[in-house]
Amino acid sequence: MTLSVFLQSLISGILIGGVYALIGIGLTIIFGVMRVINFAHGDIMMVGMYLTFYLFTLFHVDPFVSIVITIPLMFLFGAFLQKVFINRIIGTLPQNQILLTIGLGLIISNSAMLAFTSDYKILTTSYSSGSFKLGEISISQPLTASFIITVVITAILYWFLMKTDTGQAIRATAQDREAAQLMGINVSRMSMLAFGIGAAMAGTAGALISPTYYIFPQVGSAFTLKAFVITVLGGMGSIVGATLGGIIIGIVESVGAVAISSDWKDVLVFAIFLLVLLVKPSGLLGRSRM
Amino acid sequence: MMKRVIGMTLAVMLALPGMSMAAKVKIGFINTITGAEAPIGENLTNGVALAVEDLKKKGIDVDLVKEDDTGKPEKSLSAFEKLATRDNVAGVVGPYTSACANAVASRADQYKVPLLVPAAAKEEITQKGYKYVFRLNAPADVYSSVLMDAVLTLGKPKTIAYVYANTDFGISTVKTAKEYAKKIGLKEVADEKYQKGAPDFRSTLTKIKALNPDLVFMVSYEVDAITLMRQSKEIGLTPKAFLGAGAGFTTDQFLKQKDVSNLVFSSTQWTEDVNWPGAKDFYKRYKAKYHKEPTYHAACAYEAMIIMAETAAKNGGNRDKTRAGLKSGSWNGIMGQVKFVDYGKFNNQNNHEMLVQQIQNGQYETVYPTKYKTRAPIYPFRWK
Repeated sequence: MTLSVFLQSLISGILIGGVYALIGIGLTIIFGVMRVINFAHGDIMMVGMYLTFYLFTLFHVDPFVSIVITIPLMFLFGAFLQKVFINRIIGTLPQNQILLTIGLGLIISNSAMLAFTSDYKILTTSYSSGSFKLGEISISQPLTASFIITVVITAILYWFLMKTDTGQAIRATAQDREAAQLMGINVSRMSMLAFGIGAAMAGTAGALISPTYYIFPQVGSAFTLKAFVITVLGGMGSIVGATLGGIIIGIVESVGAVAISSDWKDVLVFAIFLLVLLVKPSGLLGRSRM
Repeated sequence: MMKRVIGMTLAVMLALPGMSMAAKVKIGFINTITGAEAPIGENLTNGVALAVEDLKKKGIDVDLVKEDDTGKPEKSLSAFEKLATRDNVAGVVGPYTSACANAVASRADQYKVPLLVPAAAKEEITQKGYKYVFRLNAPADVYSSVLMDAVLTLGKPKTIAYVYANTDFGISTVKTAKEYAKKIGLKEVADEKYQKGAPDFRSTLTKIKALNPDLVFMVSYEVDAITLMRQSKEIGLTPKAFLGAGAGFTTDQFLKQKDVSNLVFSSTQWTEDVNWPGAKDFYKRYKAKYHKEPTYHAACAYEAMIIMAETAAKNGGNRDKTRAGLKSGSWNGIMGQVKFVDYGKFNNQNNHEMLVQQIQNGQYETVYPTKYKTRAPIYPFRWK
């Protein structure tokens, strides 16, 4: 493997890892605040992809601009799901939560199949296969744009959680639900906020990946699995952990495909996943919880 | 005496319905109507619907029993068993995918029901000596050999790289492609299998670009073909020719991606501009009725249904006679000359001549074999 081939795959890996990170962050916030593993995460992302697709084809809104519309809509969708469904199972047996979120995912993806049919939808923009040249290395334009947007969104989210009162209230709820309630924090409102933010992140990831990928109702399941691996790898509930996890998975997939072979890349990803769990069961940046 | 009278009466009673409606035949049709392969399955459904219309004009009334296998072999098998035992069909057309057709083929002899496979490529299906299994389309080895033959008339490529989905179709097509490449002296420089539906092929393509092959041979379903070509352009992978083996490279969606699909060669079972009787007419009628371009699957399914129904009607719906009729008959329709023969390792296989098409200015143009050519092929490849 020459240096340029290695650098090329490293850069592709980091860029695609950025989008993975965004999916992982959504899942990790939801878990952190509610202790609910959202198995409908990929399907929520799929909703974001269809939203982007129709905004583009019907109203000619550029996918990267359309996140301005996608984010609030997906936030409301997430808040609605939380209020009507998820809220009822907080604090119940984990298997009930799993059944509920898997069931929600199935309903979402099958409704999409009814509404949009199972045909693949492809979003073609003028830059779908555009790239910059950096010496011998070519860098994808749409992936670079989505990476920059991911960085900005992650930074804003981090600032929001660290510096604002609401953010601190969300973190307090994540740390200790009962204590937070005793301190006068409206925890059910915080849960709604957290699920809304999680859904908005998933929807944004869907929007960002649309120009280079394709859309069909079952697209979510592969990403749910990926988000789960990223979140556990980074440490459940840790935003920085999920970012790191996403980028690691992106790099391992990309470099692994070149160094060994493309049908071995998933083996590599899961081998690293297991290794991390063996050495540090709480994930890279996770703290052990009781 | 009494017994004989009753026996004769029963025999007449059983034969009568068949005699009064001499031209009514019951045919089974197994297809992928839902599931991931459904968009291509739709072409087969429409092709068969047109065939049933045409058969009616010829005085053959087809009682069609449709079954959906969702692309899963086990569902295909149970559909076939239902058609054979409960519906008592004279013959079955289908299933679409290689995996399903291969599973069903193993039961055709057991139930003694003639099976005509319209479009599945896996070679094995007609290599196991089954007496009741017939195949209309050319098997997987031709998908690759016809492409390489076409390119050899244009230049002197020396090296080839393979990129393909790790599915039944992908693996079996590349296996035979490699054998043929060895025979004609092409050197293999890369062999990359990928997971169907992966979002990022950049690293694999970068690796291939570094090896600088003359030919890049791809086997992909549906949209992977588009993702692969988009990322090839992005990376700047520029071989002398991109060769796409059927499936994802022959769809309307692929054609519409003008920036990345231009000048790609693909092998196909059928195009509308060949001089096979009725091909052009079929294309026009299909487009008028369904507002979409038919893929080769539609033409294969149409012709398979015509052949099966005509043969079954001629033989009064008798399964054994229908089988014999398929074996001895020959047809000349929208798929050209059809005859089910034994050659090489194959049995009851129509030695179908495949075509090579190239996308030029947003159109599929037939470029090989020379006698069917509508445009001259453009070689070597360059990005638009």
